[in-house]
Amino acid sequence: MTERITFTFNDKEFTCESGQSIAAALIAADNRELRKTRFGNEPRSIFCGIGICFDCVVEIDGVANQRSCLVEAKQGMKVVSAT
Amino acid sequence: MIIVIGAGPAGLAAAEAASRNGSDIALIDSSPRVGGQYWRNRGTVKGYRSGRADQLFSKISSAKSITHISEATVWSIEKEGDLFRVNYLQGGEESSLTAEKLILATGAYDRSLPFPGWDKPGSMTPGAAQAMLKGSGVLVGKRVVVAGTGPFLLPVATGLAESGAEIVGLYEANSPIRWLLSLHALLLNPGKFAELFYYGNLLKRFKISLKFNRAVSSFADGSATVSHINSHFMVKSQREKIVHTDVVAVGWGFLPDLTLGGIVGCAQRVDSDGTTIFAVDGEQRSSVENVWIAGEATGIGGADLSLIEGEIAGLSASSQSISPSKRFTRIRKEIFANALKRSYPIGDGWQSWPQESTTICRCEEVTMHEIRESVTELGAEDSRTAKLFTRAGMGLCQGRVCSRNVSEIVGGLTHCSVTDGERIASSNRPIASPISLGLLGDGKK
Repeated sequence: MTERITFTFNDKEFTCESGQSIAAALIAADNRELRKTRFGNEPRSIFCGIGICFDCVVEIDGVANQRSCLVEAKQGMKVVSAT
Repeated sequence: MIIVIGAGPAGLAAAEAASRNGSDIALIDSSPRVGGQYWRNRGTVKGYRSGRADQLFSKISSAKSITHISEATVWSIEKEGDLFRVNYLQGGEESSLTAEKLILATGAYDRSLPFPGWDKPGSMTPGAAQAMLKGSGVLVGKRVVVAGTGPFLLPVATGLAESGAEIVGLYEANSPIRWLLSLHALLLNPGKFAELFYYGNLLKRFKISLKFNRAVSSFADGSATVSHINSHFMVKSQREKIVHTDVVAVGWGFLPDLTLGGIVGCAQRVDSDGTTIFAVDGEQRSSVENVWIAGEATGIGGADLSLIEGEIAGLSASSQSISPSKRFTRIRKEIFANALKRSYPIGDGWQSWPQESTTICRCEEVTMHEIRESVTELGAEDSRTAKLFTRAGMGLCQGRVCSRNVSEIVGGLTHCSVTDGERIASSNRPIASPISLGLLGDGKK
């Protein structure tokens, strides 16, 4: 049986299965946008999905520039869109 | 001791082969589990089971002389006398390991080409769509268009369909007639007929029609424009179709990650299709003594070629003999890899797809207009100068996504072909992965 995980993204609560990446969990919950770009304020989501492109970067528990496609969601994680 | 970096097909084959005579091996990889991108989480998702992977995985886990270091990102390699010191980050901590010999099997990632809307949420690489499914069991969308070029589009489309996605379009940019130039490669690799038959059946089962000579020319708000293109990838006017879709998964073959070999100083060359790769000899030895390189970084060729290259590298690094039949297998797989390059070339016409406002460098948000201006107004004559003017390629991904495209766009604007020197220079970076100055400072002796 897989364990259920609860984490927050921009203060909103999300649940997923253990082992899922943050990006996958958010996309599964129909939350495609992960951040806005610095200059154009354009929405961005996952692009390469394997940690190459850094388009999906978010702040995780206060640490900036984490690739949400690589980091597995953990119980109680506080995820915030990069600015 | 031998350090193998990368636990995909090439790295696993290398570690397994080298362990046959009891050599001590450290297998370093950035993922939690072995398999690389190709065998990521194999066995758990429909359509991705592999007996070959299961066999290799069990040999690796039962070999006493192999230590698997997982979730470790290598960010640099230093030479210390006769030893290589491999520095890596694991769980936010800096660690290192030394060995006399290195085998690099760092793999490849999807090549992307810019088109209007390629930076919008919902546009991604086929590799991303597959990684979300294999790694996390998540479908990237209910309705998906798969497009670009190369045989990889087939497992992506059929894999997504098997897990319940509706493939609303599967578009190959090249024509299948190109395979007529490479019939010998198919005859030397008859197993490929079975694969073709397998995917053909799956396409039929899921009622996916594969269309040729087409490309996604724009994407916005849940709709993709699909255009007919000629053999040079120029869009034919008035022949387009609007397709409603959540996701466009578009990929143009693969680019190898050359960073680590570049840091060690291994000589590179430009492959027949313009891809920068490492030069290696018949035993996968690089130009640097005691460094072997195997898999996609020595020429894009897929898992079959990676496996035999990895095995040869592992045998050579552990001073075991390599049978003539293994050498012949490598040649046979290489002939097939060359056939893929001939059958799925990238036409320069893609340079006409971006509009002036289309993003070319995703990280630094540099548009086609800015790159054009750096050439026409500021006088940039090569991509390096264009990058200095525009910051294209200077973001977090360090140009992995855009630098080849920027070189080719600047080449197109200046009517010069991109030189081998420029292609090699734009593929290298001094630090493999972003690392904070704090860690860099603390981690040093």
